[in-house]
Formats: sequence, C-alpha cells, structure tokens
Amino acid sequence: MGSLVEFVFYGAVLGIMYALIAVGFTLFFGVLDVINFAHGDVLTVGAFSGLVAYLGLGVLGVDLPLVLQLVTVVLAACVMTAAAGVLIGKVFVVPMRDAPAFNILLMTLMIGTVFREAIRLFYPQGANPKAFPALISKAAVDVGGVFIRLDSIALLVLGLAVVFLTSWLINHTKFGLAIRAVAQDADTAQVMGIPFKRTVFATFALGSILAGIAGIMHGIYYSEINFNSGLFLGLIGFSAAVVGGLGSIWGAIIGGFTFAALQTVWVVLFPDASSYRDVFSFAVIIVIMALFPTGIIAERYSEKV
Amino acid sequence: MSVLRFWPSLAILALAAIWTLCLLLAEDQWMIWSALAVAAVAIPAAMRTGAGAGLGAALNESGRFFALLISALIVMIALVIHDGHYPLMMLASVLIYGLVCIGLTIQFGYAGVINFAGAAFFGIGGYTAAVLGTSGVPSLLIVLLGGVIAALIGGFIILPILRTRGHYSALITIAFGLLFQIFLEVNETLGGPQGLKVEGAAIAGWSLLDGISLAGYDASFYLNYVLLIAAIFTAVFILTRNLERSWIGINLDAVREDAIGASVFGINVTAWRIFAFMLGNFVIGIAGALFAMMQNFIAPSNFSFSDSLLMLSIIVIGGIGNLWALLPAAIIVILIPEKLQEIGEYRILIFSVLVALMLRFRPTGLFPRPVRQFKREVEQ
Amino acid sequence: MIFRATVLSAAILMGVAGTPAHAKDTVKIAFIGPLSGGNSATGVGGRNSAETAVRVRNEKGDSKYNYELVALDDECKPNVGVQVATRAATDRHIIAGITHFCSAVAIATVDVYHRFGFPVVVWGAILPDITYAQDYKEVHRVNGSMLDETEVATNSLIEMGYKKWVVIHDTTDYGNMLNKMFQEKAPKKGGEIVGSFGVGANQQDFSAELLKIKDINPDVVLFAGLTPLGVRVRSQMEHFGVDVQFAAVSGIMSTSYFDALGQTAEGTLSFHNAAPLTAMPGGKAFLENYGKANYSNPPEPYGPYAYVAADLIMSAIEQVGPDRKKVQAILNDTKDYPSIAGPINFDDHRNNSVASTRYVAQDGDWVRWEDSEYASGKRQLKGR
Repeated sequence: MGSLVEFVFYGAVLGIMYALIAVGFTLFFGVLDVINFAHGDVLTVGAFSGLVAYLGLGVLGVDLPLVLQLVTVVLAACVMTAAAGVLIGKVFVVPMRDAPAFNILLMTLMIGTVFREAIRLFYPQGANPKAFPALISKAAVDVGGVFIRLDSIALLVLGLAVVFLTSWLINHTKFGLAIRAVAQDADTAQVMGIPFKRTVFATFALGSILAGIAGIMHGIYYSEINFNSGLFLGLIGFSAAVVGGLGSIWGAIIGGFTFAALQTVWVVLFPDASSYRDVFSFAVIIVIMALFPTGIIAERYSEKV
Repeated sequence: MSVLRFWPSLAILALAAIWTLCLLLAEDQWMIWSALAVAAVAIPAAMRTGAGAGLGAALNESGRFFALLISALIVMIALVIHDGHYPLMMLASVLIYGLVCIGLTIQFGYAGVINFAGAAFFGIGGYTAAVLGTSGVPSLLIVLLGGVIAALIGGFIILPILRTRGHYSALITIAFGLLFQIFLEVNETLGGPQGLKVEGAAIAGWSLLDGISLAGYDASFYLNYVLLIAAIFTAVFILTRNLERSWIGINLDAVREDAIGASVFGINVTAWRIFAFMLGNFVIGIAGALFAMMQNFIAPSNFSFSDSLLMLSIIVIGGIGNLWALLPAAIIVILIPEKLQEIGEYRILIFSVLVALMLRFRPTGLFPRPVRQFKREVEQ
Repeated sequence: MIFRATVLSAAILMGVAGTPAHAKDTVKIAFIGPLSGGNSATGVGGRNSAETAVRVRNEKGDSKYNYELVALDDECKPNVGVQVATRAATDRHIIAGITHFCSAVAIATVDVYHRFGFPVVVWGAILPDITYAQDYKEVHRVNGSMLDETEVATNSLIEMGYKKWVVIHDTTDYGNMLNKMFQEKAPKKGGEIVGSFGVGANQQDFSAELLKIKDINPDVVLFAGLTPLGVRVRSQMEHFGVDVQFAAVSGIMSTSYFDALGQTAEGTLSFHNAAPLTAMPGGKAFLENYGKANYSNPPEPYGPYAYVAADLIMSAIEQVGPDRKKVQAILNDTKDYPSIAGPINFDDHRNNSVASTRYVAQDGDWVRWEDSEYASGKRQLKGR
C-alpha cells in the first residue's frame, strides 16, 4: 500500500514536467496556430545550459549555497531557452505562419534535430549521458513507511508554482491580455494597438522558458541528462497538449497529468509488463484522438470555406 | 513528343547516369567533392537553359517511356559495377528509399494525408519478411504480403486519422510510429532489441544470396537484389504515374487541395483518403520487405521516428508530389552522406539544416511538381 | 672525371638502397566499436589501444608492411553494426577486423563476416554464442566469455554472504543470456534469485522495478547490462531508497560509471575477464606506449584486449601477407601466442578463455578485490 502512494507521488512529479512542456506547445499554438516541434529539443538546450552554468561556477571557483546554485542554473536555462525560442520564432516560424501545417511541423522538427545534433557533436562527448548535479538536497522523508525524497517534493512544488504563475500571467496581466487577444484574433488585436510580432516573440520566449525549467527539473529528478531526451519528452508534451485541447492552458496541464497517469496506472496494474507502459500510453492517446478529434477541451474554431 | 526535346533530354539522363556511376564507384574523398561540385554547377545550368525545362516537360508528358529508360540506365550502372559489393548495396538502398517515397507521395503528395510513421510501415514489411522467411512461402509472395500487412495495420489507425485534420492527424501517425518501435523493442517474440535475422530472397529455387558467375564475369550477389528491386521499383513507378495522370489522380488532387469543395462536387473524400493511405502503406511495406531480405537482418532501431523524418525529407527536398524528383532526392539524402565519410558524423546536422532551410525558402522542393497537363488529357 | 663518376654512382647506390625502405605497402585493418553514445568511453579506449598497437609496430620498423587502422563506429546498435560490418567486410583493402564491445552487435554481425570471408578478432563482447553458436571460422575472440565471468561472479557473491539476489538485466541477447546463466548457477552454490527484471536498454525510468525490489528486500541487486543503463539503475536506487549492495557484470566497468555517479559509485562490485594492468605481463609497457600519444581517454578495462587483437592480426599478416584466407588460417591455429595479457590460446571454437577477476569501485577507480580496502576490512560493503 505504501508503494501505491509512492507511485502516485512520482507520477505527479512526471505529470508536472509533462504539463510544463505541454503548456509551451499550447501557447505557441494559441498565438500563431503553429506547432513548434523544436520545443522538446529546446528543453535539452535548457538542461545543458544549466549544466554548463553549474560547471562554470565550479571552474570559476565560485562557492555558492545550494539554493543560489539552483537559481543560477535555472536562470541560465531560462535565458538560453528564451533566446532559442525567439530565434526559432523570428527566423522560421513567424515568416512561415501561413504555410501548411505539415511544412511548419517538419521544419520545426528539423530545427529541433539541429539543436540535438549540435549538442551531440559540439558538447564534449555529447553523445554520452551526462551527470546532472543534485541541486536540491537528496535527503528523504519517511512518512509512515512511505519513502519520499525532499527533491521530489521540491520539484513538485516548484512545478506547480510555475504553472500557477504562468496561468496568473496569462489571465491577470496586460502581457497575458495581449497574448490572449492575439490568440483570439490577430488582426483585430493589431488594430487595437497590440504589437503583433513582439507579443508573438514574447510568447515564444515564455513557452521556451517553461521548457527550460522542465529540462532542469528532469535533470535533477533523474540525475542525468542526455542529448536525445528532448525528442521523446517533446512528443509526450505534444500528445498531452493535443489531448487536452490545443490552445487551452488548463487542457495542457490536464493532458500532462493524464499522460503521466496512464504510465503510472499501467505500471501499477502490470508491474511485470512495465516496459510496455509507453506503448499503452500512446495507444490510449490514439483512441482519445479518435473519440475527441480536437482534444478533450475542444478547440473552438471556424473554417472559412 | 518533339524531337527537339527528345535528344537533349536523353543526353541529360545519360549524363546523370554516368555521374551516379562515378559517385558510386568513387573512393577518394576529393573525387566525391568534385562530383558534387560538378552537380552543383550543372543542375542550375541545365535549369537555366532550355534543356532542363525540356527534360521536365518531356518527363511530365511521358508515360512509360522515360521510366523504362531510367530503369535501363540503372541496370546498366549496376552491370558496370558488377562486383563492387558496397556500391551495389548503396544503389539498392537508394532504390528502396525511392520506393518508400513513392508510397509517401501517394499519401501526402497526392491525397494530402500526412504520415509521420513511414518507418513503422517500412518495419512492418521488414518484420513480415523476417517472420515468413523460413516458412517456405515464396519470396515474391512475402514481398507482397509485407505490403498487404502494412496496409492492413495502417487500416487500424485510419479511423482517427480521418476524423482529424492537420496537426492532430500528424500526432496520430507520430504516436503510432513510436508505439510500433517501442513495442518491437520490448516484445521478445519479435526478437526484441536484438533484432531478427532475415532469410534472403529466393526466386524459383535460386537464392539471391549467391553471386552470379558467368564466363569470368563475377557479380556480387547484391547485383541480384539491385535487379529485383529495380524491376519492382519500375513497375510501381509506372503504375503510380498512370494513377496520377488518370481520373484517380485528379480526384486525389481535389481531395488534397480543397476537401470541402471536392465533397460539394460529390467526391467521396473519406474513401479517397483511405485508398491513398492504404495504397501508400502497401508500397512502403513492400520496400520494407525487400530491405530486410537484402540486409538479412532487422532490428527495431532501424525504424525510429528519425528514420520517418528521413523519408519525409526526401520527398520535401525532391519536390512534394513529383515522382521524377524522388531518385535524385534519394541520392542526395542517402548516397552522398554515406560517401562523404569525412563529414559522416555531421550528416544528420547538415541535412536537417538543409531541409529546414528548404522548407523556409523553397517549400516546393528542388524540382517542384509541374502543373497538370489537362490539355493533353482532354484531346486524343 | 673518376671523382664525378664515384660520386654519381654512390648517389645512385644510395638512392637504390634507400628506396626499399620507403616502398612498404600499407595494409589496412579495421577497428569496430561504440565510438559514440553511452558506451563511447570503452569504445574510444579500445580504439586508442588498437591504434597504439599499430603505432608501436610501425615505429619498430622491422615489419614487412605499414599498418593503418580504420576505425568504424557501431554505436552499440545491432543495425548500425551490421551496416559498418558490411562496409568493412566489402572493402577489399581491409584485411581483418578488431571487432565489437557490445555483444548485441557482435552476435548480429557474425553472419556478415562469414558471408564475406572477413577474419575478425573480438576484443570486448562476452556473449558465448558469438564464437560457440555457429562454426564460423572467421570469428575469433581474445577476451574470454561470460562463462568465466558469471562463474566467478556467482562464487564471489555467495562467498561474501549475499544469498538472496535480484537480477536486473537488459533485454538484448547479452542481458538475457547473463540472466539465464545466473539463474542456472546461483542455486547450485546455495543462492536464490528472488526477482528478475528485464528492462529496455533505453529505459529511462525504473520506479516500477525499484519500488517492487524494495518490497522484495534482497541481499544484493545484480545488474547485467551496460554502463548507461547501469548508471541509471544505480542512481535511481538511491532516489527511491533501495539501500542494497549493488553488483554488476563487466559491461559497467568504465570511467563513465564514475563520471556519471560520483560518490554513489563507491562500493560497487564487478567482475572482469582480466587482471589489472599492473598484473599483466605486458601491462606496464602497454601503459607507457599508450601514454605517449597523449589521449584524453584512458584505455578502460577492455583496452588491453583491443591491443592484443590488433597485435595478433598484424603478426598473422606479417607471416602470410595481406590475404584474408591465409590470415584466417593462421589465426585459427593460435596457440601460446605471447601477448601483453598473457598467452593466447584458441580452443576449437577460436575462443580464448580467461579467468575472471573480482573488482570493487574504490575512490573513483576499479580496484582488484584482493588489493582493496574492502577486502582488508577497512571499508564495508552494504549488508555485511
């Protein structure tokens, strides 16, 4: 029974990571009607930026308390991912926003591949998995036979905080209002004086920052980062965003937790067949898409014929 | 077709064949770079002058003739190489990927059905060949069955694909592709991550794995495979070309361009999409079976999402919907990176940049699909 | 006049005498191993060691041929392995190969080598089937097999008092066969395998397996797989609070294990078909020669075997020239070949058996058990 609680808890940590990635996808889609498939690999860029920042601190001989190290690492990740996101938006996606969905999908997939390969080739021994520093204390708490580590609790809390912060940003600030306006009707928003390109780039930056934070969380949770972890996580994030309904932030969060729940449920029910968990999860995604073609929180759209 | 166009077109094709032969046989890196330089100069030159346009028009109008001509050139290349194992294997790989891309062209180039799981259907064909290889079923039948089973399994995900559009249907094919690869890796019966050995093809009792030896002319066994695959490729190519030029092609184009408009005209959009998807998967499955038989080995890591992206890159670089551009594009994506071993490590990086730039600046590809020649089809 | 003639003839004579020294043919041999990816440390160490062997022989100057090493990357993936194996085997200029660390790749490529008549000497893969399943005269091996490794592993663990085992293995032929052997051998010595988990080589998350193992509460977790997977299992054991002794097969013995785990690696037990370099007959000389090239990677535990394989091949080529069939015949008959790792003897399946040694991870290095502070009692393993 104790292990069931543990399963649920660790499932939640995975869920919040997937949710962060999914929210990024949904933001890009909401604002531009595009899927930016480089998002998963931007996560890897964030994770590696954080690692480089940490190693840089070591090389410079700067000795900071653990919390400040964590802050530095997260900041480095956010800066680099924001830059990457804006770069992708400015050079590739915004000029192509009227192109067919396939073109943008494939183009951003290729851009993601470029990031991935660049890390593999140019980071020293990039193809090797890299140890990620334990930036949050690994001490454990034993709550009535249930073994929970402090870093997992901290990650969950951090993730939820970021999600709520993003939601507050979107719904209660002027910047968020601009994003929502552009998402609803770009032309009218521009007529109303909202700077279209700046808002879009800022949205890309925001979404990518979320990916960067997810990357750091992933690194801390598994104590390891790998140049190709981003691709699979991106695909999970995309599935989560689609299932929840593209364009809806809460949909993306629900989608993220849904995917994690699917994985956890399978593993709890069939521990001997645990390696099939991803087969099961993706199969369910396909079934959900068959039943709800535009996601659980359906996308509201009209098509001009 | 006018004589003025015929001879220059023939000349261009012959030169291209010689260039391909040189590229396949070249071993020194400087030879390969010079071949690339020659191509980089020659192709734009041909396109500027009338010769390139002439060739384009000739190919666009022709039915079987140029397809058979190109096949003959390929066979000649293979015969000239005769005992070089590796160049022949490369030639066969180019043809196999060309075949896969014919399938993808039917799905996406004609009917507009996005398929990010090309590698999965390729793998289904391959695993069919692996499983049936020792069962005594004749090889050609195995190849066909590879295609049939790929089409049938594709039928399972056709329903969600039909109900969705754009990014959503893309997600379904992506999810399916991942599902397939992960399933193969964890499932023991199909060999797991270790993969499976595959029996080579055998026609009428004669195994393709035996080289030919005729009066001092020794041929690598890969020559057999090149001949077999070239034959199948030509047949499928001609059939698809006929399909494209027929009323079926017109219907598919209508479905792709404007589904709502097409349905207003009474075209059954759903039926055509299913048709294109399953036919495309059939072709991809055949290619997979041939690939497995030639390699004598398959493993789940042969069929990853990146491999699906590779296949899509070929049709994007060539020109979406243009069958004639497939072989040149396959040569660019498959053959050149193999040959340029110095940059071998960087090849994925380079070709990703290439495709991203291509999609950004020239989404119609190197050889855009020419406009349909209605005039010819109406007048006898 | 006479003076000029003398000078001229002297010059001609010197020229003629000088030319043969520069007219040595170059012979190519291939090295295939995981040069990228999670096992790259071992692969690169092996390549560097093979290169060292080639360099040493070329520098000695008394060989008939000039040797060149062609290094190919199999990425530890069977399908890539088959591709590069085909490339090497179909290249007429490459006479023989020093092949493979990853067993999953090695077992997939034996057919390729056989089909093209390409003699190879395995330097790191320990799956018995590689040499024993078929009678392919092309395939030889110098580094022993898992028959030796699992025997010593089982005996050691039981001796140390670890009777209840849980085995975590990867699902390639390598992991599956290791699991099978442990399942057979453990009960015979009084051990009991209370749980066995097959995991995918690319699996990222082990929460399911490890939480279950926590419930089972074994004496030792025995890992049968390669370094990247082992690193993940070990670090997640810490994460989920599985406080049990960790032991693993030689697939985990590389410096990347320490790089990735840091302090967590301390105390891991492992087993390897080779004595430490200091105890090998040619070990010291090998290290010196290796060091001369200033490589940024160490040779890793399997490096010496790559050196031995290269050496064996080059000796054979020296005897019969660059002819694949003749080289293969020489290699087949290898008996008492003096190598840096001791005498090499091929049995009827061209396999060299080696007694396995027990190792423990101590202070970021793999130390022979007998030499370690754990054996002397200064440090303690878990659960003893």
